[in-house]
Amino acid sequence: MNDLLKGNFQTKKSVSGVEDQESIEARFEREALKKLGGSISFVKKKKVKWAADPDN
Amino acid sequence: MINIPEGTGELAYKLLPLQNKMTWERHGSLALENAKINSAFFGRGQSLSALRGVQIGEGNSCVVVAAGPSLKRKDPARVIQEAGYKGAIIAAESALSYCLRSGVVPDLAVTIDPHATRVVRWLGDPHLTEEKLKEDDYFSRQDQDDIFAQEMRANDEILEMLNKRGKDIRIALSTMASNAVVSRVLETGMQIYWWNPMLDDPDQEGSITARLIDENGFPSINAGGNVGTASWMMGDVLLEKEYVALTGVDFSYYDGTPYFNTQYYHEAVDLVGEENLDSLFVRIFNEHENAWFYTDPAYLWYRECFLEMVPDAECRTYNCTQGGILFGDGITVQPFREFLAMHSASEMTK
Repeated sequence: MNDLLKGNFQTKKSVSGVEDQESIEARFEREALKKLGGSISFVKKKKVKWAADPDN
Repeated sequence: MINIPEGTGELAYKLLPLQNKMTWERHGSLALENAKINSAFFGRGQSLSALRGVQIGEGNSCVVVAAGPSLKRKDPARVIQEAGYKGAIIAAESALSYCLRSGVVPDLAVTIDPHATRVVRWLGDPHLTEEKLKEDDYFSRQDQDDIFAQEMRANDEILEMLNKRGKDIRIALSTMASNAVVSRVLETGMQIYWWNPMLDDPDQEGSITARLIDENGFPSINAGGNVGTASWMMGDVLLEKEYVALTGVDFSYYDGTPYFNTQYYHEAVDLVGEENLDSLFVRIFNEHENAWFYTDPAYLWYRECFLEMVPDAECRTYNCTQGGILFGDGITVQPFREFLAMHSASEMTK
């Protein structure tokens, strides 16, 4: 039965269910990047850099 | 209908690690473009460094007034006046009109967000029209200062207030502010103190922030994702206050607020569909208020950033918002009247 379901041609691109799921997530992330987000970035473990203080 | 498998709030938590990237995608290049345009006006102000360590306000405390939904419910400006508080007051630009209308003139206003049209509304938009209002329902939807319910009238009032009092107000003006904001600030005569947004680690090679500092000579301050946190940071590193109280820093919405009245409603619907909005909102119980609040991905991130920043602060941080979701290690939650009583003139002389 499985041989019958395979069909009688070779596709040019391989078809994978896992790849489809990753595409959906990547697409979602791309849309989220465009739509959400804060007012300005946050930098970990930094408070301030004073222009005149090279040690800061 | 989109099939979102995540349950209530789950998607918001999944998006947390992406928030900095999302913010950069939204604002990164605009920040640089605006800094370049604004360079023509740098000579119209001073570096924020000029305020470093300057004694502003009496004593060693300051109060931050931000524009969260608790502002109209708790009315911190009235409490400030009733207490006769003489310490420094730092206002997010979004709370500036509220302060002025309440008779409180902040010692420092802070602005960051580079949005081309929205931020200037906080200072009064001289070019606002009914047509423009129809294009953007952001202000009419928010659970904020009730004045914005009548938008054109509110705008006129704010224009008048800032035209009258602007010259008395210092503003920490980000180099990434929009042209509309910079023009308006110049028009009002506000005393400008320029600063650079911290877009990335300035100590890393190739840092864009470092490049900005080198180019314009202004300091860069970590804003923690939003103007409320930036205001707190100004109290800590700029004014060097030992005690900093937060008001209006909710980072959330009151339980029962319709999703429609949240900041990113339209964006959220575009992303997941109306039927899946629950996945993007997180409910958090505030035991200090014995009440539930809920938050969206951006504000959840602001909360996480703040909690990460507070251990490194020199100041002692008091959340006197009396609402919202900002509590945790390093933050003392205290009723605002109590904080002000501790830092009144009579207490300071003891």
